[in-house]
Amino acid sequence: MSYEIKKVAIIGAGVMGATIAAQMTNAGIECVMLDIVPPFDPSEADLKKGLTKESKAWRNSFAVNGLNGALKSRPASFYSKKNALMITIGNLEDDLGLLKDVDFILEVVVENLKIKQELFAKLEKAVNPDCIIATNTSGIPIKEISSNLSAKNKERFLGVHFFNPPRYMKLVEVIPGETTKKEIVDYMTYFLENVVGKGVVVCKDVPNFIANRIGVFDIANAVKTMLGKGLTIPELDAIIAKVLGRPGSAICGTIDLVGIDTGYHVMKNLVEAIPDDEMVKTFVPPEFMDKMMENKWLGNKTKQGFYKKTKDEKGKKVKLALDYNTMEYVPFKKPRYESVKEAGKTEGSFDAKLKALFYSEKDVAGEVAREYLCKNFIYSANRIPEICDTVYQIDNTMKWGYNHQKGPFETWDAVGVKESVEVMKTLKLKIPKKITEMLKKGCESFYMKKEDGKYYYDFDKKGYVKIEDNPKIILLPDVKAQNKVIKSNAAASLIDIGDGVACLEFHTRMNAIDADMIAMIEDSCDIVSKDFAGMVVANHAANFCVGANIFQILMAVENAEWDLLDNLIHDLQYANMKMKYLDKPVVTAPSGMALGGGCEISMHGQRCQPCGETYMGLVEVGVGVIPAGGGCKDLMVRCTEGLPDGTAEVLNLQPIYEKVLMNIGQAKVATSAMEAMELGYIRKTENISLNRDHQIWDAKQLVLSIAMTHKKRKPDMIPVMGESLMGIAHAVLFNMKHGNYMSDYDEHVTMKLAWVLSGGQCMEGTFVTEDAILDREREAFLSLAGEQKTQDRIMHMLTRGKPLRN
Amino acid sequence: MRDAVIVETVRSPGGRYKRGALAQTRGDEIGIQVMKGLMKRVPQVKHEDVDDVVCGCCFPEGETGMNIGRVIALGAGFPVTTSGMVVNRFCASGIQAIADATAKIRAGWSDIIVAGGCETMSHIPLGGWVFRPHPDWGDLPMTYVSMGVTAENVAADYGITREEQDKMALESNRRAHEAIQKGVWKDQIIPIEAWKYVKDKNGQWIRTTETFDMDDGVRWPSTLEGMAKLKPPFKQGGSVTAANSSQMTDGAAFSMIMSAEKAKELKLKPIAKLTHYVVAGNRPEEMGVGPRYAIPKVLKLAGLTTDDIDLFEINEAFASQSLYCCRELGLTERYWTGDVNPNGGAMAIGHPLGCTGAKLTCQILHELKRRKLKRGIVSMCIGGGMGAAGIYEML
Repeated sequence: MSYEIKKVAIIGAGVMGATIAAQMTNAGIECVMLDIVPPFDPSEADLKKGLTKESKAWRNSFAVNGLNGALKSRPASFYSKKNALMITIGNLEDDLGLLKDVDFILEVVVENLKIKQELFAKLEKAVNPDCIIATNTSGIPIKEISSNLSAKNKERFLGVHFFNPPRYMKLVEVIPGETTKKEIVDYMTYFLENVVGKGVVVCKDVPNFIANRIGVFDIANAVKTMLGKGLTIPELDAIIAKVLGRPGSAICGTIDLVGIDTGYHVMKNLVEAIPDDEMVKTFVPPEFMDKMMENKWLGNKTKQGFYKKTKDEKGKKVKLALDYNTMEYVPFKKPRYESVKEAGKTEGSFDAKLKALFYSEKDVAGEVAREYLCKNFIYSANRIPEICDTVYQIDNTMKWGYNHQKGPFETWDAVGVKESVEVMKTLKLKIPKKITEMLKKGCESFYMKKEDGKYYYDFDKKGYVKIEDNPKIILLPDVKAQNKVIKSNAAASLIDIGDGVACLEFHTRMNAIDADMIAMIEDSCDIVSKDFAGMVVANHAANFCVGANIFQILMAVENAEWDLLDNLIHDLQYANMKMKYLDKPVVTAPSGMALGGGCEISMHGQRCQPCGETYMGLVEVGVGVIPAGGGCKDLMVRCTEGLPDGTAEVLNLQPIYEKVLMNIGQAKVATSAMEAMELGYIRKTENISLNRDHQIWDAKQLVLSIAMTHKKRKPDMIPVMGESLMGIAHAVLFNMKHGNYMSDYDEHVTMKLAWVLSGGQCMEGTFVTEDAILDREREAFLSLAGEQKTQDRIMHMLTRGKPLRN
Repeated sequence: MRDAVIVETVRSPGGRYKRGALAQTRGDEIGIQVMKGLMKRVPQVKHEDVDDVVCGCCFPEGETGMNIGRVIALGAGFPVTTSGMVVNRFCASGIQAIADATAKIRAGWSDIIVAGGCETMSHIPLGGWVFRPHPDWGDLPMTYVSMGVTAENVAADYGITREEQDKMALESNRRAHEAIQKGVWKDQIIPIEAWKYVKDKNGQWIRTTETFDMDDGVRWPSTLEGMAKLKPPFKQGGSVTAANSSQMTDGAAFSMIMSAEKAKELKLKPIAKLTHYVVAGNRPEEMGVGPRYAIPKVLKLAGLTTDDIDLFEINEAFASQSLYCCRELGLTERYWTGDVNPNGGAMAIGHPLGCTGAKLTCQILHELKRRKLKRGIVSMCIGGGMGAAGIYEML
């Protein structure tokens, strides 16, 4: 049979449960969220609020609190708080009826086998016979949790393990039980990848599955290496850090974030669960961690763990680090290692830097890196086939679930398998037989690229096996390698991504806009108009585009090259206009930051296929100018389009234009694609790609779907408020200035913005052309760029990386 | 010149902005119900005998637009021959309506007029739906300055601290709470059949009504500690908060005014008369200081001093301006002994803009009567920089 999850139930409204529910709503899935009725009586304060033991509000209070927590969580769990409307809450005594039409039920309660078993006995009866049943356990074996389920229900039972925070962590481990139907596992993988936007790794039913086995070993190994080498906590975090592909919080910082107790318990549980593991001793928590548990120094949540942030007598913030020998907090001083510094400066890719540190003989850092990584490599290799069958499963898990830049086998490839084995020998480490075998066969890396795709070394088959291509993942570097570049310059490339669709890819530093990029947009439009069905504007960089290259702007200003600046802006405006009015469909696909000019480019696609995690805004006022690449103009279009004919002339446009004025005037940045829709940067009728890996494919499908019936857009005419807006802006800004909410110069810049938005000295309800507003954008931009305070703002942004409020 | 006397004065309870009991009731409907209640209380006066209805309203738009005076007159069952008008002097509109009616009657141009005010702040935004400051006044937008900013200006320029303001806010709420407990307002309030939109059993929205008979804005119990936690919204680092500002409120209040002869003829016992009324201008950016200029001006006109006045109702637009005015008028001590705003003020039961002057008139006349006192002053500051003050004398 075929499955389709339209409605989900989450059982357990703790942090994890509620935030998983939030992610489900982000994916457009309706949710039921149930928790237990509080097992205690309402307090005095509760009774005063009108809550009684019988009242629905009290009986649902755990679920209510969970939902409120998810609404308040930082970073945000919901794309938009409005999504919370898609969650129906209730309790496990009165509301089991809500479960009868759910297609998927996920248990996210406390990690206690007995409680889980009892719960499933209850849930089993409440759900329909096709419902997929899952547990979000992070370590309890699936077969034990499901042991009392009926044989039929066991077939639809599996582990679905999200990582915290579920909106942002890509990994979901899917753990089939012994009798789980394959079609259920396949469908869940499809659902989690395509609908919920996650990366799935199918795991074996072994203690802690993959991520928390390899990941906890990684941490325990680091801590033990620290003890072995007599390093301090900050020293460890300085070495096992960015250069080795670890997140910015490094090892101890990360444990502080997660909670010492969480890490500690997982280590303890593992010691019991895997007594035969060759490295079981590594998992035994060191003595000083016992003391930390006793002292309740549990990390950020108790304000102290490995680190402690406090204030000195003068009220200045100071950071302290734990000295695990004395159990006292001592002032934090950033340790400096010549080898780490040198590695960081090594030319080339991440691999080159990593390799530089791995083989460095300069100081102890190289030694630590070698010992730590080698132990990780060996441990990971020994886990195959115990916990999974392939190297890429472990690599994906560590990248997606622990934010490692590369997984252990990819890291191993980076330092060179053959060379590293020599290192292991000198460290007297036991080299796994399968590695020696592999090298003997002349296979010196775990991965290799061939013409038809990517291969991995399979320990069982003792040779390279092709990693199955996912047609929904379009990787531009791979496409480019197949001679598919149509045109390219230093800033951008137009690439043929098949089926008559071209993709315009930006590739400047931070994807900042420069003259080359603008030229490429124009050229691409010409080429696509002639030879293609349509165009996607997308790239794989962390950020779609962060706006204009402000350094170049500042240089032009300082050299008084006003014509050059005017031309540059004019070119950007009309490159954008060319996309908007192209006779072929243009779909922009922003992801990450799309700020300033990046937002403007996104807005000038005829359609948009944003990634859920798109952070969009017209932030130009931060550097003392106003959006001049058509951003003001198109936000005006978007906020006034859709009014029935004949109404814009007579409507009070004040609330609309106040919104436009404030969005740009306060540089509001949307924290999701959905919020960008609420602010007006993306039309509400667009669809969102939850899985960024699929975004270019999604955008391509959109191009193809509209290409058939595509018509060139008719020119927009914009209803404006004329001079009336100037009066409104004066009054609104006057009050904000007097409330210390903006500086004199903020007011000045925002008045210029109002001048652009007013559309001219005309009557309210006059319609003006897009060109008229574009002219005003340019004029306002150039006049502001000539002012000292704007130049100070640009300089400040260039040197300090944050806006100056002068 | 003949005398004009007030024979009855009533008000609706004040309903809190958006969340209060009147938040779903149309503004004109509140006015109509108060008007009907007033007419019922004076059965000697037939509807056709009322010559004119004068209604104060700050933002006479939407449901309180289209000449709300005339709308209320017709809605309350007056014949077509009874005329109606709107008066707008912003926050003094309500007392301005009474003053205009009084003057007209004294001049002999009318015999009986009903005057007062009506405002729905829940429905019509402060500033109105269509706010259009003059575009050429870029450098001089003081007329359009936000009221909160003016309150911050008064606090900053005249050294009124946050603590003082909060203390007054607390006292205002304490007094109002006590007044409700003691039932002192019962006689002056016309209960309103407030509109409530609810879903019926089919999930369709329908309109129902619910009786609303007492002000619902009082924040009691309150503490200074609780108030101290509020953030000043108008100015970063400022001192004016939601607690020490007047509440935005919906309500209506009307008084019946007639010539002394007419009252005698109808055997009605006059309550009081408005003997003097003035408006004084001041700087718009410190709009709240108005009463400090209007009260001396009206006293001078009457040849009286504050000592001759038994009770004051000085509208608590903001604690900062109330404190400042009391200080400058030498009334601080009398505030604390209860001669000023004896039953609390707008920080507790609200400031329904165009209705306020009429509402304070109603409150002070009933209080003077209750305490058997002689003279009272109603005064308030006015947006745009003015103050109004009127002297009532009990009869």
